[in-house]
Amino acid sequence: MRKIIVLLVVMAMVIPTVFAQGAAESAEKFPSKPIKLIVPWSAGGGTDAIARALAKSGEKHLGVPVVVENKPGGTGAMGLGETVKAAADGYTLAVLPVELSFLKDQGIYPFDFSNFTRIMNLNTDPSALTVKTDAPWNTLAEFVDYARANPGKIKIGHSGTGMLWHLAAATLALETNTQYTYVPFNGAADAIASVLGKNIDAVTVSGAEVSAQVRAGEMKILAVFGERRMEIFPDTPTAREQGFEVVVNTFRGLGGPAGIPEDRVAILHEGFKKMMEEPEFVKVIGNMGLGIDYRNTTDYYKLTDDTAKTLEPVLASLLEIK
Amino acid sequence: MITYLFNGFEFLFTTMAAPALFGGVVLGIILGVLPGLTATMGIALLIPLTYYVSPSVGLSMLIGIFAGGIYGGSVSAILLKTPGTPAAGATLLDGYPMAQNGYAGKAIAIATIASAIGGLIGALILSFLAPQIAKIAVRFGPPEYVLLGIYGLTMISYVSGKSLVKGLFAGCIGLLISTFGIDPITSVPRFTFGTLNLLTGFELLPILIGIFAMSQAIEGVRDSREVTPPQIKLTRVGISVKEFLRILPHIVKSAFIGTFVGAVPGTGTDIAAFLSYGEAKRSSKHPEEFGNGSIEGVAAPEAGNNACVNGAMIPMFTLGIPGEAATAVILGGLMVLGLQPGPLLFTDKPEIIYTVFASTITSNIFMIVLGLLGARFFAKVLSLPKSVIVSFIFVFSVLGAYSMRNSMFDIIIMMTAGLLGYIFSVLDYPVPPVLLGVILGPLVESNLGRTLLVSDGNLMIFFKRPISIFFILIILSTIVSNIYKHYKSKRVLQ
Repeated sequence: MRKIIVLLVVMAMVIPTVFAQGAAESAEKFPSKPIKLIVPWSAGGGTDAIARALAKSGEKHLGVPVVVENKPGGTGAMGLGETVKAAADGYTLAVLPVELSFLKDQGIYPFDFSNFTRIMNLNTDPSALTVKTDAPWNTLAEFVDYARANPGKIKIGHSGTGMLWHLAAATLALETNTQYTYVPFNGAADAIASVLGKNIDAVTVSGAEVSAQVRAGEMKILAVFGERRMEIFPDTPTAREQGFEVVVNTFRGLGGPAGIPEDRVAILHEGFKKMMEEPEFVKVIGNMGLGIDYRNTTDYYKLTDDTAKTLEPVLASLLEIK
Repeated sequence: MITYLFNGFEFLFTTMAAPALFGGVVLGIILGVLPGLTATMGIALLIPLTYYVSPSVGLSMLIGIFAGGIYGGSVSAILLKTPGTPAAGATLLDGYPMAQNGYAGKAIAIATIASAIGGLIGALILSFLAPQIAKIAVRFGPPEYVLLGIYGLTMISYVSGKSLVKGLFAGCIGLLISTFGIDPITSVPRFTFGTLNLLTGFELLPILIGIFAMSQAIEGVRDSREVTPPQIKLTRVGISVKEFLRILPHIVKSAFIGTFVGAVPGTGTDIAAFLSYGEAKRSSKHPEEFGNGSIEGVAAPEAGNNACVNGAMIPMFTLGIPGEAATAVILGGLMVLGLQPGPLLFTDKPEIIYTVFASTITSNIFMIVLGLLGARFFAKVLSLPKSVIVSFIFVFSVLGAYSMRNSMFDIIIMMTAGLLGYIFSVLDYPVPPVLLGVILGPLVESNLGRTLLVSDGNLMIFFKRPISIFFILIILSTIVSNIYKHYKSKRVLQ
């Protein structure tokens, strides 16, 4: 028994030193050492693909390598938490998810966009109300009429309570004064499978996520909840065109801990903007079906602030039901 | 269709695809052997490499890693009781006792043969029946998942050892562990104690490494006063025809179970392995050997988890929906390459699909060659002094727990789980039921929530669907037959 205790004590002492990092401070010229780009999700997902496609040309446009580091866990909270705590010197950046707009209010994230220096927006993707091809509705109006006549009967699947696609469905409910039963799934793919198996009626996940099924004729999009139509489905009208003010987009942006000096933000913005224009990046993002949406620093601040504001009443309506 | 498959083979062996596949299998086995490095991780990290080669070549490599990785996990499970991947959690139940009895080489050979045959059957089902299986798989809704999970939990009775009460207690501990983190239905954080580390609950792998490997390392330290460590002699690696005939039916059955578990989205290789193990024990003529080094107990889970690898590709290719975690990563990789998996891929790019099918079939043949050649070499590990082995297990356990998500917190979890496992072994409580609880708890819980949302709170939904009625019947028959056996064995003792 004593041996075990000694062993545990020794391990407890040794392990942390292995991972301790020297606090090296940089020189005057920025950037002069590799930039760490934290992806708060595991390797292999959409956010990861964007980060890696960007980082490829980092050396070319910033003069230093951009190193992608995956820090998954806590629906993004682990990686974002590490970013918030990092030195605000511009050498630790992260891909910031839309969740920063609304997860603090729900007591899940301990931080929101105000804890980050925001640099630029990279991508946006609209939610799309999608049903099985043989469903009885062909337009958003028909869907809403049915919902009005049968409150709570339509089951809408999404990828987690309080997550963006849930809020998208709730925005529709609030805007049209209708009721639905929301069924949370562990990711968009499982929700889509459940529509195919006729266990639920619709999903409000992103248009990119349903595109394979829609192209194959298994599912149809009733309305795109974007500001404009999706490039891959030019014939599918938006909710706004059909007379419903429902606009819900996910977006991924670039940022770092609060307090990065303005001149460094400008340098990073300039460099990453060029990285976004690389044909290789455009191709990879296009292949993934994701929408490139560059917005400069000012517009990105506006986007994040506006999103938080529009989602506020939606969140309130959900909390009321709870 | 057969012509397409032949073209697939032709492409495979006339281009760089076959070497890429072989390299993938080798790399996968290495990743699988090392605890903490999983096939999923290997695939994610190698996807960028595939940008530079043709899609078929890149895909062949990824498939090799997937298959090799799931198989490789069994080697460290058998030799060191350290599961390289969660899928090997069931293999160690009999593989490790076999190795301790001096049959390490044989255990690895059986795992290899079972993995390859199971994988091959899965690959053939994938190649010929994918669209049909996919149609059944989407019929699997929330109620069916609940019952599949409950059926899995009845396996506790097969992995509890001597005392069912102790087994049930251990199972409840596992279920309790699985309740940490955000509620899957309401998103309310549970038992997070204000730390972000617990927001999404515990990772499976640190717990798995802790309760099996670390606890055993602690035991090793305790027993290190023994002057001469028990040397394990290596016996013949091969298996006899009689033994092969004994495991073959279990391999075939497990292959079907594994393929189906893989084909249903949201369940993975770990569940496939445990269901196969339970079914093998239930139908075995020698159930008393299970847990003490049964060859069937090694063969069944290995056949099941490698069949699952192929099953998981069924919904990925036919529906564009991943069957489990590693296929989700492959799916992302396919999209980056500009291939959108889904119903259209079959008509648009059949040559790619059939090269993939040819790769899955061939990967199992590579695996059997590599595994049988390597068995003797791998088994030599056990002739090292025990003090060296124990030290290695410590190092690998810490590295394995950390590398899952680069988190120090996971090392603490692994150590805590190790202490728990040690206490369990001192008090003679079985550990495998804990694992079943951790794996199946979230499946049952989240899907029960979904079922009740879908049915407007009506439990009758379970009795209105054919697949769910089928599951209810097998759950009942498992429970009843267990009680009966228990009763009978008591009578015999008296």
